[in-house]
Amino acid sequence: MKNLEESIFLEPATLAEALRFQADEATRGLPLAGGTDLMVQWEAGVRMAPSRVLNLKGLAELHGLSVAGGSLVIGAGVTHAMLRRSPLVRQHAPSLAEAAATVGGAQIQALGTIGGSIGNASPAGDLAPSLLVAHADVEVASVRGARRLALSKFLVGYRKLDLAPDELILRFHVPVLPAGASETWRKLGPRAAQAISKVMGSYRGRVENGHIADFAVALGSVAPTAIRLPQTEAWLRGRALNADTLDGAEQRASAEVTPIADIRSTAEYRRWVSGRLVRGFLEHLASL
Amino acid sequence: MSKIIRTWTVNGESRTAEFPPMRRLLDVLRENLGLKGTKEGCGEGECGACSVLLNGEPVTSCLIAAGQVPDGAELLTVEGLEQTEGGRLLQKLYVEKGAAQCGFCIPGMLIASYAYLRNGARDPAETALRDAHAGNICRCTGYAKIVEAVQAAAEQWPAKEVNRNQ
Repeated sequence: MKNLEESIFLEPATLAEALRFQADEATRGLPLAGGTDLMVQWEAGVRMAPSRVLNLKGLAELHGLSVAGGSLVIGAGVTHAMLRRSPLVRQHAPSLAEAAATVGGAQIQALGTIGGSIGNASPAGDLAPSLLVAHADVEVASVRGARRLALSKFLVGYRKLDLAPDELILRFHVPVLPAGASETWRKLGPRAAQAISKVMGSYRGRVENGHIADFAVALGSVAPTAIRLPQTEAWLRGRALNADTLDGAEQRASAEVTPIADIRSTAEYRRWVSGRLVRGFLEHLASL
Repeated sequence: MSKIIRTWTVNGESRTAEFPPMRRLLDVLRENLGLKGTKEGCGEGECGACSVLLNGEPVTSCLIAAGQVPDGAELLTVEGLEQTEGGRLLQKLYVEKGAAQCGFCIPGMLIASYAYLRNGARDPAETALRDAHAGNICRCTGYAKIVEAVQAAAEQWPAKEVNRNQ
């Protein structure tokens, strides 16, 4: 393994300079923000030390957090600590704040960024489900220009994103929680802190006259990417929020996910938990 | 890679170090600056033994490329805690309550306690207190004595050392 201390360290002062580094293969660096995944992988030798590292920390363009046009606009460099503390996030995307608060401990939350969590493209990334149920978009840019696409399209597969080698993640556009709707987040792991999830997820939904008017649910660690459950969602829409509906949704969610067995859990257990999580979300919706 | 030079305020003093930018902050603190109070436990961000305050927030120094810490940053390590009234109070109460056994996790644990108390937190239910220490693993105490020490420190915490940065 190449020694990490030999890597060239690129320090762009602006986003424009960062994009110019990335435009050419000969100057391109591996983007590094919070480092909470990359530093571990490099130190453990499971990933080769890169020839060049592009330091994204300190780029002001990646640090905004505001509400505009009915969406929360969250810069890629916003940390988990900022997400959990932000009154804007807690009001407009509460499940995202809840998810951020369960990642690692305070030290990891202070370092890890939302751009890194999504850019890492792990199915166990804890922030993706809350963004998916909100129909969030991601905005990326290169010297060729910026583009904006649905996060569900951006997450292509296991460790795969619709992101060209010269592009960087700029920010996320997260539609705010509509009036009368609710959402929450649940995670199942071996312990409350410092644990990678076995299964986790979020929902965003709304009830009208005892019937489900809207329901979006997304789960992580049950498929190659965090996924919505479109079949379960479609079956639920318009249904009375009663015991039969909860039973049916649990069965359908368990059948819809495609988990694998790995060091953290078995496929069978993840399938079962997926159904239970969706039942729990409907109970949460019913309790409001 | 050629070395870079950074000047930070470390434990209240201006300190300059020269290092390869991808060297871990933990190693720069210990090897370049000789601050060996900060410990390496797991080296992968799980245990919190290497915690320091970076601009007021607890971070695991094993996961930070030191080049990512810009000039002018403020760092506080366990050595710096002793220079603060709150730090000395925590030291005294950790000892009195038996919160330290083997002691290896304690530099990081104290940093977490200090960060929590400095934000003015008071938590009889212990939920926020335990959450603030969730990134620090201790294999000796079972945490009860640590929680007792921090609760006791909260009652006597010097008002001038409250600095809500959130």
